Amino acid sequence: MTQAPNPYLPAVGTITETIQETPTIKTFRVVLNSEEAMKNFTFHPGQVGQLSVFGTGESTFVINSPPTRMDYLQFSVMRAGEVTAKLHSLSAGDQVGVRAPLGNWFPYEELKGKDIVFVGGGIGMAPLRTLLLYMLDNRSDYGEISVLYGARSPQDMAFQYELPEWLERSDMNTVLTIDAAAEGWEHSVGLIPNVLLEMEPSPKNTVAITCGPPIMIKFTLQALQKLGFKDDQIITTLEKRMKCGVGICGRCNIGGSYVCVDGPVYTYEQLKALPNEL
Amino acid sequence: MADKFVATNELGSWLAALSDQYRTLVPRREGDAVVFQPFEESRPVELDARPTKSPKEAVFPQCEALLTFAYNKNPETPGRVEVAVTEKMGGAPTVVVGGRPCDASGFFTFDRVYDSERVKDLNYLHRREQTLFVSLVCEKPATTCFCNWVGGGPASANGSDALMIPVDGGYVLESLTDSGGKLLEGLSDASDVQTKQAQSVKSAAEEAMDKAPDLSAAQEQLLAHFDDAEFWEEQSGKCISCGTCTYLCPTCYCFNITDEQFGHEGVRLRTWDNCMSSLFTMEASGHNPRPTKAHRLKNRVGHKFSYYPSLHGGNIACCGCGRCIKSCPASVDIRAIVLNAIATPVSQPEG
Amino acid sequence: MQHLEELKQQIKDKLPELDVVVGWEQGFDPLRATPLFMRKPEDVDRLIWNPLCVHNLATYLTGLKGKKVGVVVKGCDSRSVIQLLQEKLISRDDVTVFGLPCTGVVSIRKINRQLGSLDYVEDVELSEDSITVTSNGQKHAFGLADVAADKCGRCQYHSALLSDAFVGEPLTDQAEDDYADVKAFEEQSEEDKMNHWLDVMDRCVRCYACRNACPMCVCRDHCVAQSRDPHWMTQEDSVQNKWLFQMIHTMHLAGRCTECGECERSCPVSIPLLLLRRKMNKEINELFDYKAGTLIDGKPPLMSFKVEEENINERGW
Repeated sequence: MTQAPNPYLPAVGTITETIQETPTIKTFRVVLNSEEAMKNFTFHPGQVGQLSVFGTGESTFVINSPPTRMDYLQFSVMRAGEVTAKLHSLSAGDQVGVRAPLGNWFPYEELKGKDIVFVGGGIGMAPLRTLLLYMLDNRSDYGEISVLYGARSPQDMAFQYELPEWLERSDMNTVLTIDAAAEGWEHSVGLIPNVLLEMEPSPKNTVAITCGPPIMIKFTLQALQKLGFKDDQIITTLEKRMKCGVGICGRCNIGGSYVCVDGPVYTYEQLKALPNEL
Repeated sequence: MADKFVATNELGSWLAALSDQYRTLVPRREGDAVVFQPFEESRPVELDARPTKSPKEAVFPQCEALLTFAYNKNPETPGRVEVAVTEKMGGAPTVVVGGRPCDASGFFTFDRVYDSERVKDLNYLHRREQTLFVSLVCEKPATTCFCNWVGGGPASANGSDALMIPVDGGYVLESLTDSGGKLLEGLSDASDVQTKQAQSVKSAAEEAMDKAPDLSAAQEQLLAHFDDAEFWEEQSGKCISCGTCTYLCPTCYCFNITDEQFGHEGVRLRTWDNCMSSLFTMEASGHNPRPTKAHRLKNRVGHKFSYYPSLHGGNIACCGCGRCIKSCPASVDIRAIVLNAIATPVSQPEG
Repeated sequence: MQHLEELKQQIKDKLPELDVVVGWEQGFDPLRATPLFMRKPEDVDRLIWNPLCVHNLATYLTGLKGKKVGVVVKGCDSRSVIQLLQEKLISRDDVTVFGLPCTGVVSIRKINRQLGSLDYVEDVELSEDSITVTSNGQKHAFGLADVAADKCGRCQYHSALLSDAFVGEPLTDQAEDDYADVKAFEEQSEEDKMNHWLDVMDRCVRCYACRNACPMCVCRDHCVAQSRDPHWMTQEDSVQNKWLFQMIHTMHLAGRCTECGECERSCPVSIPLLLLRRKMNKEINELFDYKAGTLIDGKPPLMSFKVEEENINERGW
């Protein structure tokens, strides 16, 4: 009989902490119950996992803590359907299933020595966070780092407990923006693509990494192209309904490319070569 | 091993003997359909009409448990709930007698995906490694057969452990593998006359196949038509988006994973899923990458004749059995769709 | 049939105002017709009309909402169009009905039972009362009445009940339908009846062809069979789940099923589904004196309210 790891068997983990980021986004910090499994757990920034509540189902989330900070695995969940609603009802001490790491990852080796521009919208900041923190933990490997993070309103911003630190750091340039002016808001106001154009990041030796709602990505892409970024200088990470997470169940494909195997991280150059089935 | 022979009136006792050692699945008439069921001596085996369902279930059941779970209170800290997770793996020695060569070859499509260097689906492999196929050679093609378009044939040995060839008074059995040979051990040798007749049945069957059209352009052409909404709307107009084609197909391998809970216990199930349903790719946000049946039919045909071949050395994910054509309530014909894609020039965008 | 050319002309005349007209054309072998979507006059030349035209094309109407659609219907099919209109699931302005008189369609399954297999059909000849199928070199002649679908033997609506263009002479003779098949089944013991259904439902593959082929089943993707909210069924392939789906499916059709039989015809494993719906319709007919899809301004009884029901004596005084 074939011996190999069972791709469908999750590790059981315990939620050690939950953080209500926004009314719809909740962060979960998970530690695998098996000390050995937790110690041996390795992953690359950008990889995802199938987080499950036994009895409700599995759903795909990026591991948004970096591999340089392994006290826990962090997942940020936007409440949208059955599984995410059930996850939101959980608290510290509750048990979850973790099938990870799955998928490909940000090309952090190839990005060494480059300037990086992160453009995140709403929950899209989650996958960017893992790479951002990884880079900050390996700061000398990378050039200038800029972060543009936008949300509809101050209440819709995730990771608010970290933003002050990002704003203060002298080794990165952070710009926060919301769609419309709000009382007490000291930072930029404006849609992400417009604020990006104002920031005017230079495309020279720079890679832009963006994630967010589809419409935001569409206009951010246009802005980046206007600024002179080539297709292979733009990286994004896709979302798809996933089930097996290992490229078998036939669901998450875009033409012949399985998002759970060839993605979820794609350069815009790679995306353009795929059939129009986003 | 020399060819063996089993007389029609001895078939039952041979199958009964096999049933002592293997879960023995045979085609059987139920209503107007022919389905694979465990052999029962009191119920006749149907070997003339082609089976309606494929024997896919023998290796890839419609529903199987991947794991079971049980929630329990932690005895030391009653405020805490623990969950015990148990891996589930099924499978027992099985032999399918009476499928056709196309049915057995369908599993190669599965193998390339389920048994790769990157990932091994143990649930599938546990059954695949324990299932043998004694395939019935077809004497002549049905009007819906197109196995030879996709590398198969009515007497193809590819994927079977033994072949069963209809001759006067019974069947000649040809062993193809060691395991297949074991199944035939108790049978008497075929006579020279019978062996010769078997050979001529096989040749006649192959000669009866219509010449296969050249499908080499399918991989590229289907992709070239990807944005041609009008083309796919025409091809998919009569489709009713049910799952008949998918579930009867020997090569369709897509599945769903769902959890079911009953009180404090439950199970994580793997069940067949159907890419013709709009729920297949429906995202929780409400966005659906394949919102219409035109998109979904394009994906099904594209996957089988274009994407899969491009990922797996040109092998088409179809065995040409024709079930999708025969059983489709609207008679959608995948052959016509593929040939149309090849023949129709790609419409150039305006401007 | 003789009116085919006239039908083609009627469709060609109306085609410029319509997005598409749905009819039938020759399918993958001489015995099978298949739905035809006509958009250009050349498409109309492929139209056929004969006893092989078994499909109820009304099932495509709800999916084509918003478009101007023409549909070719037999008597039974026209009932589905009427029922869809009664329930306001389609708009009268958007549908152009080409009605036909029909003397019956063939049951492919009955021919299969006679021939043993439909794999080798080479030729089919149709006459006014017979069908000759050449299969594997041999000719098999059948009287049309002998291989007609069961529904045809008890048809009370041979001519389309609703049409914008009626082609041919309306047929007036009607058969009787006293639900004899349902009554015969009802005589069996409870145990035998249940065992019958559990036996036939066991081979169900939950393809939902029965649901999708039904013109009245419009829930499609929101169907309770696949829903997790409400979560009434699991995805287990147990006969209990399959039977529950079929029961709910039948109940949802109470007072709405026009007995076109597409559910049974579409089932790839030939489960005798029509009997369940006929039982439902027998009850509805007895309780409310109502047959779905027969009156253009009829009101489905389970969608209307009466303070005093004629056949339901609730208060006993």
